[in-house]
Amino acid sequence: MPGHRTKGFCASAAALALCAVLAGCGGSEESADGGKVVLRYTWWGNPDRAERTEQAVALFEKQHPDIDVTTSFSGYDAYKQKLATQAAGGDAPDVMQLDYRQIDQYASGGVLLDLAQQKAVLRTSEIDQGLLATGRVDDVQYAVPQGRGTETVAYDVETWKKSGVPLPDGSWTWSQWADSMRALAEKTGKPGATDPGQSEDAFEVWLRGQGRSLYTEDGGLGFTADDLARWWTFTDELRREGAVSPAEQTTQLDGSVENTPLGRGQSVTDANWDAPASGFLALVPTGVALAPMPSGEDGTPGQYFKPSMFLGVSADTGHPEEAAQLVDFMINDRRAAKILGASRGIPVNETIRDAIGPQLKDFDKTIADFQSSLDGRLKDPPQAPPSGDNALQSTFQRDYDQVSYERMSPREAAENYVTEAKAELRS
Amino acid sequence: MTTTAIPPEAKRAPAASPRSRTARRREGAAWVFLSPWVLGAIVLTLLPMAVSLYLSFTDYDLFSPPEWVGLRNYTQMFTEDPRYWRSVVTTLTYVVVAVPLQLALALVVALALKGMKRGKAFYRSAFYAPSLLGASMSVALVWRAVFNDGGTVDNLFGTGGWVNKPGWALLAVALLTAWQFGAPMVIFLAGLQQIPAELYEAAAVDGAGTWRQFLSVTVPMLSPVLFFNLVLQTIQAFQVFTPAFAISAGKGGPADSTLVYTMYLYDRGFVASHMGYASAMAWVLLAVIGVVTAVLFRTSRSWVFYASEGDR
Repeated sequence: MPGHRTKGFCASAAALALCAVLAGCGGSEESADGGKVVLRYTWWGNPDRAERTEQAVALFEKQHPDIDVTTSFSGYDAYKQKLATQAAGGDAPDVMQLDYRQIDQYASGGVLLDLAQQKAVLRTSEIDQGLLATGRVDDVQYAVPQGRGTETVAYDVETWKKSGVPLPDGSWTWSQWADSMRALAEKTGKPGATDPGQSEDAFEVWLRGQGRSLYTEDGGLGFTADDLARWWTFTDELRREGAVSPAEQTTQLDGSVENTPLGRGQSVTDANWDAPASGFLALVPTGVALAPMPSGEDGTPGQYFKPSMFLGVSADTGHPEEAAQLVDFMINDRRAAKILGASRGIPVNETIRDAIGPQLKDFDKTIADFQSSLDGRLKDPPQAPPSGDNALQSTFQRDYDQVSYERMSPREAAENYVTEAKAELRS
Repeated sequence: MTTTAIPPEAKRAPAASPRSRTARRREGAAWVFLSPWVLGAIVLTLLPMAVSLYLSFTDYDLFSPPEWVGLRNYTQMFTEDPRYWRSVVTTLTYVVVAVPLQLALALVVALALKGMKRGKAFYRSAFYAPSLLGASMSVALVWRAVFNDGGTVDNLFGTGGWVNKPGWALLAVALLTAWQFGAPMVIFLAGLQQIPAELYEAAAVDGAGTWRQFLSVTVPMLSPVLFFNLVLQTIQAFQVFTPAFAISAGKGGPADSTLVYTMYLYDRGFVASHMGYASAMAWVLLAVIGVVTAVLFRTSRSWVFYASEGDR
């Protein structure tokens, strides 16, 4: 009896075991949804941007009943880690939002599709040519920027007005800014600003105000430990005076507006990018206004218009045409543009920009007005940062933690950073 | 089912006769039944381990193909990376604080439960619950909220947010681990119930008080269980990740104070995209845990008492 049974038994058991293995590898996306093409689209951003994006995507699905778009979003820090892991595993989403810092790495790593292959469905003729060029690596168009953004000092209008400190006007230097922050701290009892020492972006603005840059043309470090030590000494003193946020607040920053001191009601201002600053409205319902970033002492502007939030298509996508259609829709469709407003910066499509510009309302208008007040006054943007910059952004914040918690002097931390940065850029 | 058909003699003496067809067939069947696990172990454990060993000798940024660099990752780790050493010190501090704390709690609760007449099962489950919950991200996030600025601990004791103070954040992580003492507690409880009551009676007759009984009866009789728990928890503590990750919001901060070894490994691999370096770190960790465990075993000879071996 058992002898007879074993053979069949073995075979079926083996088959079962194989099934288990195969099941683990199965589950392709095509089979879902009865023949519909399923696209994965991911981005980072705040809830406001998410809501508008969902609306735009719903409209796209209505126009393309055969396409189903699965979306997901998160804060920037979490997003970039997750995307890197997915991309490395050959599982990048079909359509992904990318930062200026990521373009170089993702393009040269073979993650992104050459968009010229899909130019039949993805039109770029109406896009500002200068901005479009920022999505090219080695003359191949790998991504298209969705807007342009610039940094801003977002402030709680009511608290500032009540303090009696003069409101910021068209421009200010770093030392005028510091005086305002001191005055605000004195009058309101809370720090004037988020400690800008933790932000590589703010440091870049300060550096450019002195005619320098973060990186050299060939991707090396554009500043010395002396420069960084001066910057951190400047911010460290402000922190000690209570003019900017204490270390316990600063360390909680994670790229979301909710976790900034301003978002928690623990400071009067926050330096941020202009598009995400819309998120402050929900947190500071009495009103938020935008002032420019401080300039160098001789008035040299440090901030610049940065191409923001690129869209790229995965090189491994099974549906390059549909993916390109979605990109085209997000950038060139007028109705989509109306929904999206300035949630990703002012649109890059010039026809749309001119058409919807006057119709922008609420905070979108605030951003548009802010940007036009700077138009023509800023210097050219730097070229795309080298690959290593992606990691250095968090290194910068971490090293400054050592300063703000008074575990290292600004000089020690600056020298540490420069050593780490050089190693990072070499590899 | 099939076993009933085989006479017991065949099972007992396979060596006496040359391998019968039945025995061979039975062995084949065993492999078939094992295959899901064997395949799983090969595909999901051994193969990735081999790849990670290879990667540890390369420069691999996840995007371009790995590039052979020999021992560079290892030399850089040991000679040029101050943060690496900071993470080592943080991890050792954590192990030295969290493991004894957790074991002491587990032992105290087990002793309390042992003497209980009623409701033992209820309390045992209640104390075990955190171990089931604690592995989850959500509890770690709640923990972060409890120890944050304006959290429960801050409100009750006015301590400020521990998770934002470099001197205290690691303690918050260690407390989360200590709170999950359920597994060692259950093992201690089982061990305590194995100790023969006569020993306590004899000790009481000799005039030993509670404390004396604990030191001279409970501790030596429990030492194998204590040793088992110590080894297990030490190995786990060296690999602590989730609580440190959640409590520091993924950054190992403030000021690197919760940047334990695996957090730095994660940072190198997934934030900075240096997979080769991260792989090298993983292999060093494996080696260190191996050495520590070997040392524990070596010292155990002098303090672990096995009743079955008699008085050595």
